[in-house]
Amino acid sequence: MELSAYAQGGWRLLGDPRCFPRRSYASLLRAAFRSLLDHPHAGLDDPDLKDIDPTVLKHCHAAAATCILEAGKQNADISAISTCLEDCKLDKERIEQFCTEYQKNKDALEILLGSIGRSPLHITDVSWRLEYQIKSNQLHKTYQPSYLVTLNVENSDSGSHPDVRFSCTMEQLQDLVGKLKDAAKSLERATQM
Amino acid sequence: MEEVDKILIHSLRQAGTPVPPEVQSVRDLTPELVVEAAVRCLRAVRPALGAPLSPLLPPGISARFRLASDLAAACQELGFGGDVGYQTFLYSSEHDTRRLLLFLVEKLPRDESERGAEPPGKSGALLRAIGARIQEQLGTPWVPPACRTARLQRLQGTGQLRPFVTCPLVLPQSGGPPELQEYFGGAAPPVPAQPPLSVGTPPSLLEAHATQLSARHDWEAEWGGPGLASRLPPQEYVGRKRLRARLRALEPLRQACPPRPQGPPPGPLDPAWLQEAFGAGGVGGFGGALPKGSRFTRTQHLTHEQDPQILLQQIQAAAETLHPSKSPEEDAGARRAGEEAALEETLARLEAEIEGCRGEVRDAQLSLTQAEAEVRQGRLVLGGREDALRLKARAVELLPDAESNMAKLQLVVEASSRRIVSLAGQWERHRGPLLAEYRHLRALRDSAQLESSRRLSEIRSLHERSRSAAAEARRKEELYKQLVAELEALPRDVSRAVYTQRILEIVGNIRKQKEEIGKILVDTRALQKEINSLVGKLERTFSVTDELLFKDAKRDEVVRKAYKYLAALHENCAQLIQTIEDTGTIQREIRDLEEQIEGETSAKPPASLDRILSDCRELREENALLAARARHA
Repeated sequence: MELSAYAQGGWRLLGDPRCFPRRSYASLLRAAFRSLLDHPHAGLDDPDLKDIDPTVLKHCHAAAATCILEAGKQNADISAISTCLEDCKLDKERIEQFCTEYQKNKDALEILLGSIGRSPLHITDVSWRLEYQIKSNQLHKTYQPSYLVTLNVENSDSGSHPDVRFSCTMEQLQDLVGKLKDAAKSLERATQM
Repeated sequence: MEEVDKILIHSLRQAGTPVPPEVQSVRDLTPELVVEAAVRCLRAVRPALGAPLSPLLPPGISARFRLASDLAAACQELGFGGDVGYQTFLYSSEHDTRRLLLFLVEKLPRDESERGAEPPGKSGALLRAIGARIQEQLGTPWVPPACRTARLQRLQGTGQLRPFVTCPLVLPQSGGPPELQEYFGGAAPPVPAQPPLSVGTPPSLLEAHATQLSARHDWEAEWGGPGLASRLPPQEYVGRKRLRARLRALEPLRQACPPRPQGPPPGPLDPAWLQEAFGAGGVGGFGGALPKGSRFTRTQHLTHEQDPQILLQQIQAAAETLHPSKSPEEDAGARRAGEEAALEETLARLEAEIEGCRGEVRDAQLSLTQAEAEVRQGRLVLGGREDALRLKARAVELLPDAESNMAKLQLVVEASSRRIVSLAGQWERHRGPLLAEYRHLRALRDSAQLESSRRLSEIRSLHERSRSAAAEARRKEELYKQLVAELEALPRDVSRAVYTQRILEIVGNIRKQKEEIGKILVDTRALQKEINSLVGKLERTFSVTDELLFKDAKRDEVVRKAYKYLAALHENCAQLIQTIEDTGTIQREIRDLEEQIEGETSAKPPASLDRILSDCRELREENALLAARARHA
């Protein structure tokens, strides 16, 4: 894990006990996690943070939030975080404090980071109908079965649920089913690595 | 034996038996522990055999017997060659227990060593992690997005994804102009609150961080390479590079932009402005902006010349041509098209007029410059003629007194040539030291340059070394982490090391013992040899004495007595020796017997006998109880 110069500067200030006493450090960490995970407009109006220069406070707040996000993005373990923060001259106790807070919020952080981006549609259900064609305007008699398939789909990008409908012949459906089985099998094979 | 016991107990612990730490040898194992260890090993070796057996010894005696007999049968089925029965578990002797447990531990599957043969390294670990994750996902059923708990949200994703939308952030920092400090300290919102939508906070922060990091990496690469070679301080280097980039960016602009014949143009296409804009904003995107801008300026020019009515129309037309999609649909299409056509016609006409005017202006300016050039040339010619006129006038003035004037002129010429010579001498006088100083300074500069280039190469090699060291450190860190992970995945290796160490220790001990045995053997042999030689000497001495005495015995009475005593002495000595030998054998036998007794006592026969008796009593009681219950029923 690597931090930018700005974030490192913020963490150096955070590690300075003259700048941030212990209580202020803890409440700033809480504020950083809260502003990322709950509501970003939560201010820095904790009574423990009253005595600190607002510029320094905002700098440290941004640095802490950056470090939290970066650690979540890299899926950093405790040792990586500690090495990174040791570079910023933090003492053991503060690093430990950060790590416990991070572990506590790790799941929420992962959910937050996982919800950024796009994903293809998810099929949630299938319904089908068998129909039998007798004739069409081109052919006098066709006498062919065909399947009408509806895929119920969940779209995580927009939250809507449009359905995918198509019709196919027996062979096409068999082909589709075979391919899906192949996919499932290769997934299972991947689990046995 | 202690080493073997330690290894055995270690293996039992690995198989899942909670052997307490104070137990150090097989002798200390209680029957409960022996049964549990045997069952756990059986379950690990062959689950079908071990599954129906309980690892806990039941309190009832008959149930105990049944379990122990089942265990014994299972062990025999596994191929245990020795004598095994319920007594092996319940009234165990140390020796039998050790043999049985050794057999079971030998049979334990070595799955850990198989796992060690998997592809090591990062890709293997990654594949395993992916496999585990997929397995976890396959194991959980699908849940509608609204009902997902936090754990399910991590597995199956949240209900709604947010796009990666970022916005520029203002990062508060100490230092800088006081106005900025005032803003940071007062009105500036905290950084996570800056994006207008709360979903934009994490992407914006991540983007800002990635930008800073990549900028730092770029700068390090730049400064490490051409930056150091330029021998400039960093700020100056950056300034020069910026200037070069600006010039390079402006060059195509100058070529693309036609030279303006008018005076200072009022539009935004001022070259100074452009320079500023591109100097600050970088190189990108000027190609597309140029034609649009020029059209806009043209429109602006028009507005200066037209009355407000047309001006308004022009602005509308410009707006419509620039943003045709913005105009609403409610306008009647035909009317709009007509209007548009008329306006465009007007525009085209006006543009043509402007072009015409511009051409005229250009022509006029061209003729103006031509005329100016002609005037300048005329003035030059005039100046030359005036000079010639002045010379001739002086000559005419000097003409009447030609002789004396010639002499005067000659004097003047000589004086000036003398002055030139003296000046040349002076110049030489000054020039010598200055030249020497110049040479000296040049040499100094050369040496300084040499020094600086040496330093430069040193710095560069240092940079290189530090970079390679950092890379090496990173690589080693990675390797260390990977090895630690592998080590955690292979707990077997530790025990293997312990095994090999103990085996080596045992081998060393055995070698020492063998040496000692060899020494004792050599001693014994020497002793034997000595005894043999002594016995031979004795025999010989005795036969010689015997013969001598026997010869004299016939004549002398005293000698006959002496001969008798000798015979008696010899016999007694032989008896003594015989007795000593007998004592040795008896002592050996005693020692053997003592060993046997010790072996028997170590098998704890009285204790196990007591236990068997008490168990038998309990069994009888249980039987009586059961019989009574049966009778009641």
